[in-house]
Formats: sequence, structure tokens, C-alpha cells
Amino acid sequence: MGFLLWYENGPVGVFIRESLWGYPIVLSSHAVGMATVMGVAVALNLRVLGYAKNISILSFDKLFIVGWVGFLINLISGLILFAGSASMYFFQGVFQIKILAIVIGGVFMKFVMNSVRENKPLITQKLLAGISIACWTIGVVAGRLMAYLA
Amino acid sequence: MNWEPLATWLESTWLHNKMVEIYWLFPMSETLHFIGLTVMFGALIVVDFRVMGLAKFINMKESMKFIPIAIAGFAVNLLTGIAFLCADPFRYFPNFAFQWKMALIVIAGINALWFWFGEHKELSQLADGQDAPLRAKVIALVSIVLWVLVIIAGRMLPYAEV
Repeated sequence: MGFLLWYENGPVGVFIRESLWGYPIVLSSHAVGMATVMGVAVALNLRVLGYAKNISILSFDKLFIVGWVGFLINLISGLILFAGSASMYFFQGVFQIKILAIVIGGVFMKFVMNSVRENKPLITQKLLAGISIACWTIGVVAGRLMAYLA
Repeated sequence: MNWEPLATWLESTWLHNKMVEIYWLFPMSETLHFIGLTVMFGALIVVDFRVMGLAKFINMKESMKFIPIAIAGFAVNLLTGIAFLCADPFRYFPNFAFQWKMALIVIAGINALWFWFGEHKELSQLADGQDAPLRAKVIALVSIVLWVLVIIAGRMLPYAEV
């Protein structure tokens, strides 16, 4: 709690609460980053689920760079937005679900790629992709609902 | 443009009443709008990055299969967007972020139609790893830039009230 208050009352927190255009600009970056990282995740998982079969799944490996750029934008913008009221967000159930869903969704992306490389049965690959896409979706839904359940 | 009669009519619709009466309908449409934008943008990344030459490792003809996915995402967002507009038309029409967003979507739509009717057939013939013509690359870049701006304008909407 001490850390949360320190972060919230520090310069980042003050900036995001007091700057007129700071909040909308950082929030917009968060939406663009979201579309990028989750967009790549959706495209990859659709391919693993059997869509557009002539694209090599392993070639998606290279598209991950784009996804990582989106993730980085959202990590930074997310940390700035979090400073706005860190001591509230940290204990907000829907925020906790969001973070958990993103972490699990990201880990399952790794599992998906591993299962493809190791030539695991198709059903295993598809199941992992399904879980990953479900987690990302929960992450976005929970993130959007933060504004309504504060 | 006089939008007030249209706004008054939208407020008399069945959809307006439902959006106002059912408290969870607006937030639920918002989450769908975000899922739709993500699906659409992800599909566009596949197509546009392939055409721009930044993802030449993707088979061009197969990448085009993501166009229907992008259209599906757009359809979800068109429907949920109409629902938002019906819920509170007097708030949206005079909002300059909303006006910018609509204008950008129209331009992005024309750009997409140009891509589909002018470029897509020729592009589908490209071999693996082959570069697209410059004209097509420019269309793909414009597409990504415009849709990023659409997302930004949309997210700015609550902060651009008059």
C-alpha cells in the first residue's frame, strides 16, 4: 500500500491527473497498443485454429515483433494510467482479472507456438489457441469494464 | 449540416429506448466495440504488413483471407456504433472527435474499396516473398495510418464534448 501511494502521489500520478491532454493521449495510445498486440494474437490463434491454412504458422513468429511493440506501448501507457489512482485500481476486482487474463493469455501464446514447433496433435494446438484467445478477450472486456465498475 | 432532425428521430427509435432502459446494454456494446476493433485491426495488420513488404514471409493470397475477418470486425463495430449513436445522438453529432472519426472512416473505406477493386486481383498473383507494386504499398500504409487515427479519434470522444 505504501508503494501504491508513493507511486500515485509521485510525478507520474500528478501528470496524468492534472495535465489537460495527458490522460486522453495516454488512453488513446493504450487503445492503439491493445489493438496491435491483441490483433496479432487473434490473427495467430485464428491460423492455429485452422483458418488460412496456407500461411505457415511459424512465419507468424516474425509478426510477433509487431505484437511486442503493441505490448510495450501498453505496458508503458498502462503504468502511467495506473499512477492516476494506483491505490484504487490495485484492489479493483475487474483490474485484477484484466492483468491475470493478459498474463495467462501471453503465456498460452508461448504454449501455442511450442506445441506447433514440437508437432503436438492438432487438437492440442487448437485447444491451447482457444484458451489463449479466450484470455485475451477477457482481458479486453475486463479492461473496458474498469470504467463502469470503479 | 443540420443534424438535429436526424438526432430527434434517432431518439424516438426502439434502439434508443433499449439502450437507455437496459443499464448493461451500453457497457456491453462498448466491450463488443473493443473486441471488434481488435479483430479488425489484427486482420488488417496481416494484410497491410504483407502488402507493405514488412511481412513478406506470409503468403499473399492467403493473407487476403483476413479481409473477410476485418469486414466482420467492422460489421460488429458498425452495429454497436449505431447503438451508441441512437443512445445519445445530441451528444455525438456536435462532438468534433466524433466528426473526425466518421470522416476518417469514410476515407479509410474509400481506400479499402480502391484496394479491393483496383489492387487485390493483381496482388493475389504475387509469388511468395515477392514485392507488391509501390501503389499498393502506399494504399496499405494509408490504411494502417487511417485506422490508427480512427481508434485515437474514438478514444478521444469523451474528452471532446462541446
